[in-house]
Amino acid sequence: MTQGSRLCFAVAVLMCAFVSINGVGLNDLLERASQLSDKLHSLSTSLTNDLDSHFPPVGRVMMPRPSMCHTSSLQVPNDKDQALKVPEDELLSLARSLLLAWSDPLALLSSEASSLAHPERNTIDSKTKELQENINSLGAGLEHVFNKMDSTSDNLSSLPFYTNSLGQDKTSRLVNFHFLLSCFRRDSHKIDSFLKVLRCRAAKKRPEMC
Amino acid sequence: MRNSGAMLILTFIAILTLQAAGVSPPGKPRLTSCRSPEKETFTCWWEPGGDGGLPTTYALYYHLENSETVYECPDYRTAGENSCFFNKNDTSLWVNYNITVVASNALGKNISDPVEVDVVYIVQPNTPEHVTAVVVHDEQGPFVRVSWEKPRTADTRSGWITLLYQLRVKQEKDKEWEEYNAGMQKYYNVFSLHPDKEYMVQVRCKPDHGFWSEWTQTTYVKMPDYITRERSLWIMITIFFVFIVVILTWTLNVKRNSVKLCLLPAVPGPKIKGFDKQLLKSGKSEEVFNTLVIQGFPPTTDYDNLLVEYLEVYDNEEQELVQDGKDLSEDCMKSKSPSDIDSGRGSCDSHTLLLEKCMDGREGSGSNQHQYSQHGETRWASTESSESQDPEPGSPESANGRGKTWPVVFPSPQPQPHHHYPVGAAKPAYHSVPEILNHLSPHAMSSNYHQLNHQDILQQERRFSKPACRHSQSYNQFNLDGIDTPAPGVAPSPSLEYVEVQRVNPENMLLLRPLSDPNREPEGSDCTREDYSKVKEVTSNNILLLQRDMSHQCVDDYSQADQCTTQQPPHPCKPAVHQSNSGMPQEAIRVMGNGYVDSTVFNAILPST
Repeated sequence: MTQGSRLCFAVAVLMCAFVSINGVGLNDLLERASQLSDKLHSLSTSLTNDLDSHFPPVGRVMMPRPSMCHTSSLQVPNDKDQALKVPEDELLSLARSLLLAWSDPLALLSSEASSLAHPERNTIDSKTKELQENINSLGAGLEHVFNKMDSTSDNLSSLPFYTNSLGQDKTSRLVNFHFLLSCFRRDSHKIDSFLKVLRCRAAKKRPEMC
Repeated sequence: MRNSGAMLILTFIAILTLQAAGVSPPGKPRLTSCRSPEKETFTCWWEPGGDGGLPTTYALYYHLENSETVYECPDYRTAGENSCFFNKNDTSLWVNYNITVVASNALGKNISDPVEVDVVYIVQPNTPEHVTAVVVHDEQGPFVRVSWEKPRTADTRSGWITLLYQLRVKQEKDKEWEEYNAGMQKYYNVFSLHPDKEYMVQVRCKPDHGFWSEWTQTTYVKMPDYITRERSLWIMITIFFVFIVVILTWTLNVKRNSVKLCLLPAVPGPKIKGFDKQLLKSGKSEEVFNTLVIQGFPPTTDYDNLLVEYLEVYDNEEQELVQDGKDLSEDCMKSKSPSDIDSGRGSCDSHTLLLEKCMDGREGSGSNQHQYSQHGETRWASTESSESQDPEPGSPESANGRGKTWPVVFPSPQPQPHHHYPVGAAKPAYHSVPEILNHLSPHAMSSNYHQLNHQDILQQERRFSKPACRHSQSYNQFNLDGIDTPAPGVAPSPSLEYVEVQRVNPENMLLLRPLSDPNREPEGSDCTREDYSKVKEVTSNNILLLQRDMSHQCVDDYSQADQCTTQQPPHPCKPAVHQSNSGMPQEAIRVMGNGYVDSTVFNAILPST
């Protein structure tokens, strides 16, 4: 094979690979996204359980109300009927918005996890870091899904997170940590549910999955 | 003031009275659990704390996390006793419900602790439905295929809820279940179940984030009685090998002898002819070794080795003569071993032997009738054997002692030998007279003198063939075949007997007669009885003077063989030997120490007529 032909062959291979990467079906993308969101929620649940194992009772009293989560302003369907009526792209944007809203708080959590006044601090720290990784990869994946879906508008809600400190004393920090984590747990469940609805809606060819 | 005080006292008295009666306000109820089967509705259950002896009513109140509005349970009946069912309309997701239960009776009420509930976290689906277990027959073997349906209420189709299934199998007698995760599929194939056994199957499910459902009712399945492929294969292999082993054993048994020979080759035992192992075992060695004795060993061949004894041995004194004679004789004879002086000489070299073998070079012609006595055959050594053997050099004496037999060997110097001579002295023979034996004439001459004709004796059979050279003392045979001048009336005598020279006729012929000849004249009888003649001396003219035993009866007689060389010895009874050499070169006459004449050098030439 001459040099020219070799070059042509390499280009063709690269193009095929590029197309194949982008040519990953929506089903597969959503499948992958669902898996990631599932893992996300599982991690948050285990973190919550770890924290609850040694949580002072006074902390529960001090716990802010869930409506105090920074993402509570986002309007999401509350039941199944509502959720099934939401179009896919809106579901996707909701999921992406929630996901984006938690990138900063998770950074704060991972930085604060190592100094928590908690016996399970190390485990919590490692899990928090893993949580952060998953969120980043899921965000990238949802980016692909969004691109794949050819949405006309990209209406992401902005959910800013202004808190840059969990508290001054260890108890408040622990309580705030716990509170943030609980907010994230709920939101991760929302994301997971939405994505799984999307997955089943796209997988018309594989009814056995849904 | 008084009223309130009085009221208080009265209330206190009433409570005491009531307590004495056994009634009290209700105990504190407790919410036990809340569950949502499909993430659409949910139900909460509580347990009463105690009714206090009075009829108590329970009420459940709840409020959402972001509202203060308190709602009471919409449905107390659907879910049964002490439960509250929240239908779809009343169920909100991702919202905390703050639920309390109030128990109240006539005396009072009691409120349970509040419980925070988020519906999405309390999902526990119903059990799967329509579980079936079917035996499927496959070429690999039968297996059980368990299949089920999703719980009716769960909406997995829209993806609202995702269920994961699990089944477990065991035999009735087993303690532990064998669990299998089926994932999201609604069937499962169970392998490696034992044949002819009954199995119990149960299935349950779980949402992706929730609680496991209850196990379904047991489904029974019976495995058929079958032989596994693997086991049947092993059975066949075993049977095959058993068969092969049986065949091999039978074959080995049949051919055990040859197998034994092949595996354990026989160790060669001692093979000694005549050696009997049994005798050896029995311990009688004499018998054993007796059998080893071979009869007839050492082989007494007819002629070969024994001739060693009969080789001539020369005395030292005579050696010069011997040497001289020998030198001459060598010219005449074709001797085979010219060098040895001692008795180890070959027969051909031996000047005492008249051997056919030595005639090989010459015209050994047909002496055909050689009859040698057996005795004689053993006496003479063949030329070859004697030469090769080189028999005892140091035993001249023995040879002497035994060398009674020595033939007259007359070498023929001329190439035309044997025809002329009337006497075919074929074989070494004992002669009564060591001279050429001639025909026997009727006029046997007996005299003290024997004239030896220096004749060429033609040994027609010089050749020393084995039977030819044999002869015994008693041998006396002349080969008369080659004799040109047939003597009248004389037939070749094959018998072995001594002959004597009767007389020498004018034709220079020795007339011989056998010793047993009845025609022997008496006068010479005594003299003719003599077998041997001794040489007294050798004259200068090469005349051999033979000595004879003096006998008065002996008549001096001599024959004049030749005019030229004949000499008459003057003395009567004196042995004289005329040696007529007609034209023959003078030859030395070998004389042996014992007086016997070695007549090998004698050339008796009979004038041919």
